[in-house]
Amino acid sequence: MLPPFLGPLNPLGYPAPYWFILFFKVFGFTLHITLMNLWFAGLITMLLLRWRGGPHAQRLSDRVINAMPFVIAYGINLGIVPLLFTQVAYYQVFYPATILAAWPWFAVVPLLMVAYYGIYLYVIGLRKGTMNTQKRAAGWVSAAIFMLLGLVFSNSFSLMTNVAGWGPLWNATSQTGAPYGIGLNLGDPTLAPRLLMMFGLALTTTAAYVVVDTAFFAGGESAEYKRWATRCALMVSTLGNAWVAVMGSWYFFAALPAEIRAAQLQVPMLVLTLLTAAGTGLPWLLMLLAQRGITRRLGLLTGLAQLGALGLHAISRQTVQNLELARYLPIGAEPVNIQWSPLVLFLVLFVGGIGLLVWMVVQVVKAVRHPVTP
Amino acid sequence: MHYPWWYVPFVTSPMLIAAVATIHIFVAMYAVGGGMFLAVETQFAHRTQNRPYLGYLRDHTWFFILLTVVFGAITGVGIWWTIGLASPLATEALIHIFVFGWAMEYVFFVIEIASAFLFFYFWDRLPPKTHTTFGYIYAVSAWISLVLITSITAFMLNPGNWVQTPSFWVAFFNPEFIPQTIARTGGALLLASLYVYLHAALRREQDPELRALIARRSTRPGLLGAVLVTIGGGWWLLALPESARAALAAASALNILMLLIFTVTLVVFAMLYLGPYRNPGWITPGFAILLFAFGLAAIGTGEFLREAVRKPYIIYGVVLSNQIYPEEIPGLRQTGYLEGGTWTRRYVAEHFPQAVDAQGEIDEGALLALAPDERIEVGELLFLYHCNDCHSVEGYAAVSESMRGWTPEMILALVKEPHRARFFMPPFAGTAEEALLLTDYLVTVARPFPAGLVNGSSN
Repeated sequence: MLPPFLGPLNPLGYPAPYWFILFFKVFGFTLHITLMNLWFAGLITMLLLRWRGGPHAQRLSDRVINAMPFVIAYGINLGIVPLLFTQVAYYQVFYPATILAAWPWFAVVPLLMVAYYGIYLYVIGLRKGTMNTQKRAAGWVSAAIFMLLGLVFSNSFSLMTNVAGWGPLWNATSQTGAPYGIGLNLGDPTLAPRLLMMFGLALTTTAAYVVVDTAFFAGGESAEYKRWATRCALMVSTLGNAWVAVMGSWYFFAALPAEIRAAQLQVPMLVLTLLTAAGTGLPWLLMLLAQRGITRRLGLLTGLAQLGALGLHAISRQTVQNLELARYLPIGAEPVNIQWSPLVLFLVLFVGGIGLLVWMVVQVVKAVRHPVTP
Repeated sequence: MHYPWWYVPFVTSPMLIAAVATIHIFVAMYAVGGGMFLAVETQFAHRTQNRPYLGYLRDHTWFFILLTVVFGAITGVGIWWTIGLASPLATEALIHIFVFGWAMEYVFFVIEIASAFLFFYFWDRLPPKTHTTFGYIYAVSAWISLVLITSITAFMLNPGNWVQTPSFWVAFFNPEFIPQTIARTGGALLLASLYVYLHAALRREQDPELRALIARRSTRPGLLGAVLVTIGGGWWLLALPESARAALAAASALNILMLLIFTVTLVVFAMLYLGPYRNPGWITPGFAILLFAFGLAAIGTGEFLREAVRKPYIIYGVVLSNQIYPEEIPGLRQTGYLEGGTWTRRYVAEHFPQAVDAQGEIDEGALLALAPDERIEVGELLFLYHCNDCHSVEGYAAVSESMRGWTPEMILALVKEPHRARFFMPPFAGTAEEALLLTDYLVTVARPFPAGLVNGSSN
């Protein structure tokens, strides 16, 4: 029997209880995918609307893409926490998986930079009324790169749990045992459906975002635009839900290992599985309700419902990840050596930081409502 | 050893860390110093109701956001990305020690981004006091980010008592923390001046009064920064562990760089004082580009030195540069490096099962009995996992060149005790048999003695 690929446990132990690490990993991932969904599927959707749609479609496209610099800045930032806690909890598998796929993983940095600047170019064209072929092309290139980045992330994270697949990949892409870093987890049957399922989920998030934007921030737009945007959101959400249903079925019934599927179908996990599957149904229903007239309450409820659906997906993903890894690792078995005072300080700063953000937003709202005269 | 080793021909994978870190630091420091500059100057402009200057500051803020929020932020993530790939054991250790330091830094990143965007996008719509407050919120958050990340990089150079008392705060307040914080704060202020000066020069402002004001005011943080860099740098030198100071003294390249950093900092100080501060009319693109290049040279040299003197460690006293814990070495010398490494053990088991005994352990003697080409292959495996962190075969710090003309005996002597030959190299963490196998490989890559040398020797 060949020796296993996993290195020893870190002698320092977990710096926080395992549940704490997991909580912030899932919480951070939920916040991250909320924004990531907007550039993953939202951007291409909006570019298509701009290209093929009428005046309302173009207006909607401009509104959504105009917010992209902010969305991307925060989306990247919110991705730090889940990645940080992934490295705390699953370092034994995270580092080997990313090293086997080192060049695609490293390429995230320059690709993201190009995509982000491309979006800025596009947005500058929008804001200054100087849109031209180059700036339009920059938008399309950015959208393509963001989708490619989705593949890179799916590749690394599916490889992280596919320890059994490391051996062949390592042998095929290494120089005397040292990986070239060009391994792609294409042999993993979960790779394609999980990526495509995320695309469908991202469409539903894009739809929810359109509803929230229309309800809260489109005060200056016509009633006709608002009706159109709400209807468009419902269509995108319907498409997204159908997509998730098909790809999710592929992932769950055909790609996921049988023992993991069986575990997800046993009570109490079954409840979570069903809730996750039905999660994006509630925002869809709220969008249906909004067809009678969009209100701020409906907008808020739709946003919260979508956030809840994404949270359920993040929790389900975590349970599946743990089941997958439990085949190779003693999950959460590392000794715990809690760093109490920095942990408490982090929580205090976290709450204080949210308070400061709220204060800043309140100041901005006040200033917008009562403009100063220069 | 515990992780697969990412093989990057010619440059070695750790050099990618250096590349990403260098370009990041040039913008990251500006993100801190520029934030301070914008906060102070916006307050000044509001107080004096200087509309043209406010207009310039707004322009500069846009440039600042485009550079720092995109390039700075992504290259910052890029460092983290790259250290995980090229230095996984050290990253694992750092994340276990400093996870809450990083988590706190994340909180300040979130505040930074929000305050920067609100500061810019609501420039004319916020009351001056609130607007200035947003600027200061950004500046303070950015500086705290610098403090948090500096504690980690300073720890890597001198962990102080952490090895004896492994607590977060002992790690955080390490002996290098304050000097590096002072030096980096200075660097941030210095770079802010140079960026503002460069931006203003390239903008070709026509109003002479505004040009003079920008030139004069933009130099102040730089002058203070140069002083702080000098104080922090001197203190940094004093707080270095003995071996790091010895490395500085022993390596002539580092001697030169050390001299260079202080000289260039003084030159920048003089150029700032005599140029934009005393003679604001000198604000020309050529002068600004020259000044900027000198500033980048000073900062880049400082960062390179900080990295170079850590050898043979990645984290001083905690993780060696070749991804081994120092306390593992005695055991590895007994059981073998190949046996002790997760991926090396697997490689031998898969490719040379005849060298694995009934208990599944590598039989060192059996390795020596392999065919010559197989011995070389095992030697290459040892080289890649044990040496490739710092040495390429052909390219950066190439062993083919540094062992040019060496006899097998000379190579074996070095392999057995590299730290005796060069104290900044880690000790060999393998058995006598593995030293022979590594030598077998190195003999095949070492270039011959250069022809044509007349040195009185017979060969």
